[in-house]
Amino acid sequence: MAVENATTLTFLSDLTPPSLERTWLTSPHPTLPFVATCSSDKTVRVYSLTNFRLLSTISGGHKRSVRTCAWKPNISGESVLATGSFDATVGIWRRWDNYEETARQRQQDAALDIDDNQLVGEAEEDDDEWRFAVLLDGHDSEVKSVSWSASGALLATCSRDKSIWIWEDLDDGDNNFETVAVMQEHEGDVKCVAWHPAEECLASGSYDDTIRIWREDIDDWGQVACIRGHGGTVWGVDWEAIENVPSTSPDGSSGRREEAWKQWHLPAGPRLASCSHDRTVRVWRRQPKALVSAPGASGIPSIIRPSGADETWEEDAVLPGAHVLSIYAVAWSRRTGLLASVGADGRIVVYEERFLAASQMAQPMETDSATPAREGPVTPSHPPTEWKILAIVDSAHGIYEINHVAWTKRADRDRDESKEEEVLVTTADDGSIKVWNIMR
Amino acid sequence: MASEMQNSNPTILNTADLPTRLRPSVSSKSSTYGSEFFASTLPSLTEGSLDPISDYSQTPSESESDGELMEEPIDEQEIYDLISTINDPEHPISLGALAVVSLPDISIKPALPDVPESPLQTVTVLITPTITHCSLATVIGLGVRVRLEQSLPPRFRVDVQIKEGTHSTADEVNKQLADKERVAAALENGTLMGVIAKMLETCQ
Repeated sequence: MAVENATTLTFLSDLTPPSLERTWLTSPHPTLPFVATCSSDKTVRVYSLTNFRLLSTISGGHKRSVRTCAWKPNISGESVLATGSFDATVGIWRRWDNYEETARQRQQDAALDIDDNQLVGEAEEDDDEWRFAVLLDGHDSEVKSVSWSASGALLATCSRDKSIWIWEDLDDGDNNFETVAVMQEHEGDVKCVAWHPAEECLASGSYDDTIRIWREDIDDWGQVACIRGHGGTVWGVDWEAIENVPSTSPDGSSGRREEAWKQWHLPAGPRLASCSHDRTVRVWRRQPKALVSAPGASGIPSIIRPSGADETWEEDAVLPGAHVLSIYAVAWSRRTGLLASVGADGRIVVYEERFLAASQMAQPMETDSATPAREGPVTPSHPPTEWKILAIVDSAHGIYEINHVAWTKRADRDRDESKEEEVLVTTADDGSIKVWNIMR
Repeated sequence: MASEMQNSNPTILNTADLPTRLRPSVSSKSSTYGSEFFASTLPSLTEGSLDPISDYSQTPSESESDGELMEEPIDEQEIYDLISTINDPEHPISLGALAVVSLPDISIKPALPDVPESPLQTVTVLITPTITHCSLATVIGLGVRVRLEQSLPPRFRVDVQIKEGTHSTADEVNKQLADKERVAAALENGTLMGVIAKMLETCQ
């Protein structure tokens, strides 16, 4: 477990005041500098990333722990949050985007020396501005994860009842959602769902140890791939950015490899990262479509495909092992391509993917680090890369387990405004939420 | 719960024969922590100055003054005493008397062997259901896990498993008991918690 020294993960701030009970997940807003944290105390707290303070507490919607939440992307002027709870329901909440104005107003008020009582009154009013819009009822047991499609038109929810529901937000001003599909192929609790960064394609991870990929074929949503490989519950999945390119190795000669990478990556599409109770983080890649449909050039019979929609996914890499207990979450930065994982051992691990240096490629070509070459024609893969551990933080939340990790844009006053800095947000069992700065 | 008993005639051990540190609490305490016993017989000395404590008592708990951090080391016997008094869900008999839990099947190990300074420890409890197809094994396991999570400091990771070869669906039960999310959701399930609370009524 070699860690390179150049990169450090440093503690920036806690989000305060914290929940006094277990917090499960923190979802960064897609455009504005705040996050929403789900708690076992049945509430969601909205914190500012500018000053790390609590902005609002959303309560009263759920009868049990709030397990998950996600911000609807692609809207402006208003924020929409979906929350999933152990009470088997999904809540939709709305608020006009005026936190910034309210903050400015407060500063002006403070400058004018308006007395504190009035300010407190205003703060309380702010809380009321989160409007409960609708409760989506359908799951039979605890909702574990929710995710909005890139366009914001579809919401996927999953549950211990082994099903995934896809809802369409009709955006009719009346908060109507229509059930588009109910998928029940998983053989155990569905622990997580995540939409493809651009397409209407969904990935899910489950207690049945599989990852499944779902797409709409003509008019029907269905499973297009079932990915086996993990030896335990799949707790989390996350997609790569569409235009991600691995980092350049220190010897620099990677121009041609980047070209080759792009040529492979475009038809293959973004890869998927997953983490599991089996203590591994794995990366999966899709065989480019054109290659799959072409008959085997060598005459070896190709795998029989019952449907043209089916996709072939294979293991791209197993990341270097750095966790000794269950891994609960993985986050693949859409900005930098860095990957972070957290889990029951209280550790944060950050990984980077690099092109193999020319010197490392002199050995007999092994086109990818994980899968042994199959018989018959070798599937063209991407230029070889390797995953390196950049940083490990032990006991990041003291003795507590870390349930979630997310990347987001840095927004506090001390940031370097000349570049777009990124921070990690981690969420733990004791209710604490911490923000970390990555220094390279 | 089930109206028909799954095992109406279980083997029962005599509670007096079970290993414990609980019953003759004064004498067993004094034998294990002789220095404390000594100190408590001489209250005038210990009150007067701090020296007698630091000199004669080796327990770190006495040398610091805020309560929680300096718990006594927790050993297998203490874990056993916490869970052996839990009642079986279908009999008014304790898990200790039914030999569902036993001292040799409890172990405490560092949770992060690669980080020697870490205070995290894993308590592993292997439970032996009274019959191999007992559908209450999950409930018993959950009862043990809840009892330990409520009694032990948070630096303990609790791992409850069915002892190998003693249950037909052990893997399934083990996977459920190891799933933090399922356990958390079970704790919010009123019916299930009613059963667990009844099992734990007999615990001190």
